[in-house]
Amino acid sequence: MTPVAEAIESGRLRGRVWLYSNYHCNLTCSYCLTESAPDVAKRRLGQERMVELAHEAADLGFSELGVTGGEPFIEPDMPETVARLAQILPVVVLTNGTLFTTRRLQRLAPLGELDVRFQISLDSSDPVANDVMRGPNNFGKVVDAIPRLVDLGIKVRIASTLEYVDDDDLAQLCALHRELGVPDEDHIVRPVIRRGRAIDNGMGVSAEAKDLPPELTLTSDGAFWSAFGPTVHGGRLDTDLLVTRTITPLRVPAMAMLRLLAVQPASPNGESAFI
Amino acid sequence: MSRIEMVEPPQVPLLARRFFDRGDPGPIVASLAHVPELLEVAMPFIGAVLGPSSLALRLKEIVILRTSSLLNCRYCINSHTVAALDCGLSRGEVLALRCEPDVGSTFPDHRESALLAWIDCVAGEAGAVPEEVSARLASQFSDAEIVEITLVAGTTMMLNRFCTSLMLPSTPETMKRLSEEGLA
Repeated sequence: MTPVAEAIESGRLRGRVWLYSNYHCNLTCSYCLTESAPDVAKRRLGQERMVELAHEAADLGFSELGVTGGEPFIEPDMPETVARLAQILPVVVLTNGTLFTTRRLQRLAPLGELDVRFQISLDSSDPVANDVMRGPNNFGKVVDAIPRLVDLGIKVRIASTLEYVDDDDLAQLCALHRELGVPDEDHIVRPVIRRGRAIDNGMGVSAEAKDLPPELTLTSDGAFWSAFGPTVHGGRLDTDLLVTRTITPLRVPAMAMLRLLAVQPASPNGESAFI
Repeated sequence: MSRIEMVEPPQVPLLARRFFDRGDPGPIVASLAHVPELLEVAMPFIGAVLGPSSLALRLKEIVILRTSSLLNCRYCINSHTVAALDCGLSRGEVLALRCEPDVGSTFPDHRESALLAWIDCVAGEAGAVPEEVSARLASQFSDAEIVEITLVAGTTMMLNRFCTSLMLPSTPETMKRLSEEGLA
């Protein structure tokens, strides 16, 4: 068993490796960790490097991949990238769910046969309230896309990022996700984290390394402690949760994570709030 | 004004945090912190080579200050002028190592004279060290000492080019001490 696999088995390290495919996005959400928007620096990892990292991750003993951004599907080759990644390890892709045109859905069809899950953001059952946070027409595109993805056989989870939890609103949101074909166990509610654009909008809760489960997270700028690490504020990358600038060979940041785990306080139990 | 920004405490990467635990670690650490996986191997290496070891600290400071002077590294000259004074070198010896008067007459001791001739070739010249200079060094120092002396010089040269190229600023504490000593 590899040192990484041992750390995962003992619960010290999470088995998932996150890949930030890119930083740009068609949306400009009010709480975005990475200040993503259409006109920001793209900072792509690229398909070949993502596949190379996935192979290294599997060899080191990691058990799952996560793809996030930015918006991954703004990358034209993302359907094929996800398919290649899923041949190596199970994949979860975080997407805003607004770019699934009929043509793109056709290219996603092969994913229904693979171990792939999509996690789509939806913050309210009220279109106006949702779109205030996530941008115009977001709600309509998402509720249109989810059943079509489910029909393709792709497993869909819904993530609701909430500044405050109102029981009535949450009940309506749960009714909606059930209508869309997403069961209760595939709906997660997570807090806004006070990093990135959420700082400027006075939103969210603070989080440091000790508050965040260790999940190796790879970007074009380096490797981070958590998917909440490679945030951007004022156009500058935050480095407080940077582990190494090196991402390949992957053993460099992976071994650095293990060294940090030897001295870091215990991380919270339970699932990462990112997913 | 340095060529790069120093990493400030709120943004210090995880692997670099232990180097900031006791306050401002200075510009070499604050610059290396941009690449934490290099910082965490570079600083123990630099500490082991330039810090206390089997080679007398006086000899090490002679090597470091002379090398820094030959490479004209303002940051290292300033820092190691203070370090040299603190380990007992006289003001005249420091000035001599800083290439101000003639070194030879200031260091009559055979060992130190042979050491300085070696360093002037290692750090001040390109190519092989002349046989006569090597022979003088070998008559005064063991092989282990020669290895360590040369590694101290080489490590200093690396730091000299790093600090000079990035225009790292001397700390206020160093500049204050140099002013007090009339060596600023």
